[in-house]
Amino acid sequence: MNLITLKNKSTQEVASALNVEGRELLLEKFASLGLPHKMTEEYHYFDVEKLLNVDYKTLDYLPKSIEESDKIEIVDGVVTKAPKGMRVHFEPAGILDMDHFDGLYYLGHLLSPRTIKIEIDGDSEVEILHRFTQSNTLINYRIVLANQANRHTLVYENFEADNIENSLVLYGYDMHIAKDSTLRLVRLQTMKDKQYSMVASHKINVAKNANAILKNFDFGGDQALQVLKVELAERAHVDAGHLLYLNDDSKRGTASQIIHRGEHSTSKQIAKNILDAQARGIFDALIRVEHSAKFTKAEQNAKSILLHKKAYMASKPQLEIYIDELEASHGSTTGQLDEKQLFYLQSRGISYIEARKILVIAFANTLIEEVKDTRHQDRIKAAFEAVFYASNKG
Amino acid sequence: MSTVMKIENIEAKIGEKKILKGLNLELEAGKVHAIMGPNGAGKSTLSKTIVGHYDVEVTGGDITYKGKSIIDMDPEERALEGIFLSFQHPVEIPGVNNAYFLRTALNAKRKHEGKEELNAAEFLRLMKGHLEMLGMKSDMISRSLNEGFSGGEKKRNEILQMLILEPEVIILDEIDSGLDIDALRQVSEGINKMKDGKRTFLVITHYSRILDYIEPDYIHVLKDGEVIKTAGPELVPYLEEHGYDGIKED
Ligand SMILES: Nc1ncnc2c1ncn2[C@@H]1O[C@H](COP(=O)(O)OP(=O)(O)O)[C@@H](O)[C@H]1O
Ligand SMILES: [Mg+2]
Repeated sequence: MNLITLKNKSTQEVASALNVEGRELLLEKFASLGLPHKMTEEYHYFDVEKLLNVDYKTLDYLPKSIEESDKIEIVDGVVTKAPKGMRVHFEPAGILDMDHFDGLYYLGHLLSPRTIKIEIDGDSEVEILHRFTQSNTLINYRIVLANQANRHTLVYENFEADNIENSLVLYGYDMHIAKDSTLRLVRLQTMKDKQYSMVASHKINVAKNANAILKNFDFGGDQALQVLKVELAERAHVDAGHLLYLNDDSKRGTASQIIHRGEHSTSKQIAKNILDAQARGIFDALIRVEHSAKFTKAEQNAKSILLHKKAYMASKPQLEIYIDELEASHGSTTGQLDEKQLFYLQSRGISYIEARKILVIAFANTLIEEVKDTRHQDRIKAAFEAVFYASNKG
Repeated sequence: MSTVMKIENIEAKIGEKKILKGLNLELEAGKVHAIMGPNGAGKSTLSKTIVGHYDVEVTGGDITYKGKSIIDMDPEERALEGIFLSFQHPVEIPGVNNAYFLRTALNAKRKHEGKEELNAAEFLRLMKGHLEMLGMKSDMISRSLNEGFSGGEKKRNEILQMLILEPEVIILDEIDSGLDIDALRQVSEGINKMKDGKRTFLVITHYSRILDYIEPDYIHVLKDGEVIKTAGPELVPYLEEHGYDGIKED
C-alpha cells in the first residue's frame, strides 16, 4: 500500500481504499485535514510525504495468544506478551478526540479498526516493549491506555528493531489519565539509520487534579516525529521533558500542543537538543491557554547544542494566550560546546573525546536524572553513550 | 643546575595582538620561580602558552620540557606528562560532578602511567586528607565543578587538583588573588606540601604577599612580553618599594 494515494481523496474514496465500513466521523475528519505535507504546520520541518510515498507491505494484525511475561511486548503491532493479571485487550477504540490537529491521528485509527487497550490497575509499574521485525512494511497500530483515579502509574516504553530496513511505523496513544492520579511515562527510543521511520501521533487527556509526567529520550538516527496533543483539565499538570540526541543525517523531534482548558492548570515543557553530524532536530511546541483556563502557569524552554557545523535545530517554542491572569515564561537558545570548559578538562589530562562526552552528558543530565529508577537511568545513559561513541570514534 | 623546562625566544599572539615578544626563561628543576610584573605584561599568556591554550598562537621560538619540544603537543598530553596550570579564573562547569571530574582526571593520569584506576571508594579515601588540609567541606566535591564556588573555593579546588595529580611542573597563575589570610595560609600549605626538591614551581603574581608563604628561589620580572630581569628573592623588597618602572634590564 502507498499512503500517498490517499492525498486529496473524498471520504468515499478513502473508505473504499482502506476498506473501512461505518466510522463516518473519522473519515470526515481525515478527509478535511488530509494527509500531512510540507505546508502542514506541525510537519513543516519533517519530510513526511517522502515517508508516505512508498509501496509498503501490509500486515493483518491477527490477535495472538498472550504469553505471560514481566512486560507488555508488542511485536509488529500485535501484543505477544503481558504480565499476569494485566488487562490488555484488542478492541475498538472508545472515545476519540474529534478535534485533533493531526491528520495521521485519524488515519492511524482508520487503519486500525481495533486498538490495543491497556488498563492499569492500582499503583503499578509496567514496561511496554515495541518490537519491529518486518522490512519494507507499514506497521500501524493504536494504543488506548488508562489508569485509575487516585493512583500512581509508571510506564516505561522501549523500542527494539530486528535487522530490518525501510519500514514505516505509525502508532500512538490515546491516553486517559484519571482524576487525582499521576502517570509517569519514560520513553526511550534509540533508532539506527534505515531500519524504520516513525510518526507517532498521541492524544493525552489529563483529568482534574491529575499529573502527566512525560519524559522522552529520542536518540540516534533515522526519521521520526512525535506529534503530541495534551489537554489539561482543572488543576491538571503536565511536565514534559524532551531529550533529543541525533547523529548521521537523522531528522527527528516533537511537534506538540499543550492546551490548558481548566483553571489553575500548570504546564512545564523542557527540551534539550544535541545535534551531531548533519542531523536536524525539531521542537515545534505550542502551549495554548484557553479563555476557560484562568490562573494557569506555563513554562517552556528549549536549549540546543550543535556539535557539528552541518547540524541544525528547528526550535520553535510558542505561547498562545487568551487570558490575563496567568504566569508564563518561555525561551530558546542554541549554541556550541563551551571551548573554555573543554580546555579546562583537557588541561587536566582528559582526552578531547572524553571531555566532549563529559560536557554533552552534563548538558543532558538534568533530564536524565529525572528518571529516578537507577536501572532505567543506567539504560538511558548507556544508550546515550552508544550514540556518542558512534559519532566520536577515538 | 638541571633544567626541566626551557622557553626560548617565544613569540605569541592572541588574536591579532602580539603579546610575547621573544621571551626567554629557564626553569631549574626542584626550584620555586616567581614571575612578577605589571597587569597586562603577558604573565597569563605565558602560562597559557606553556599548557597549549587555544587562545594563543605561537609564532616563533620553542618550549622544551625534559629535553623534548612540547609546542605541538595537545593540552591533554602536556598534562599527562606532568605540566599543571592553576588557572587565574577557573571555569564553572554545571552538570559535571566535581568528584567525578577529579577521579576521571586522576584515572587518566594513572592509566597513562600504567597504574590501576581507582574506584570511587579508594578515591574518596585519598581525598579526605587533602580536603581537611585545604579547609574544604566535603560537600564541595559532591557539587558541580566550580559552580557557584566563591573565588577562594575555586582556588582551593585548583590546589586540590594539583595535590591529586602530583604534577612535576606546577604553574600557579595569581593563586593568591581573592584569598583571605586563612585561605592564603591553607593554599600555601598545600603548595608547600608538594615541594619535594624535585617538583618545579612557576608562581605568577603581581603582589609579593604570597611570596611570604612560598619562598621563591628566583624572581623573574616580566614586562611587555619579555623577561627583563632575573634575580634572587632579595629583589622582592626592592620591587615593593620602587615598582617595576625602575628595573634595569639584565
Ligand atoms: N583573550 C584575549 N583577547 C585579546 N587580548 C587579550 C586576551 N587575553 C589577553 N589579552 C591581552 O594580552 C595582554 C596580556 O594579557 P595577560 O597575559 O592576561 O597579562 P597579565 O596576566 O600579565 O596581566 C593584555 O594587553 C591583554 O589585554
Ligand atoms: Mg594574568
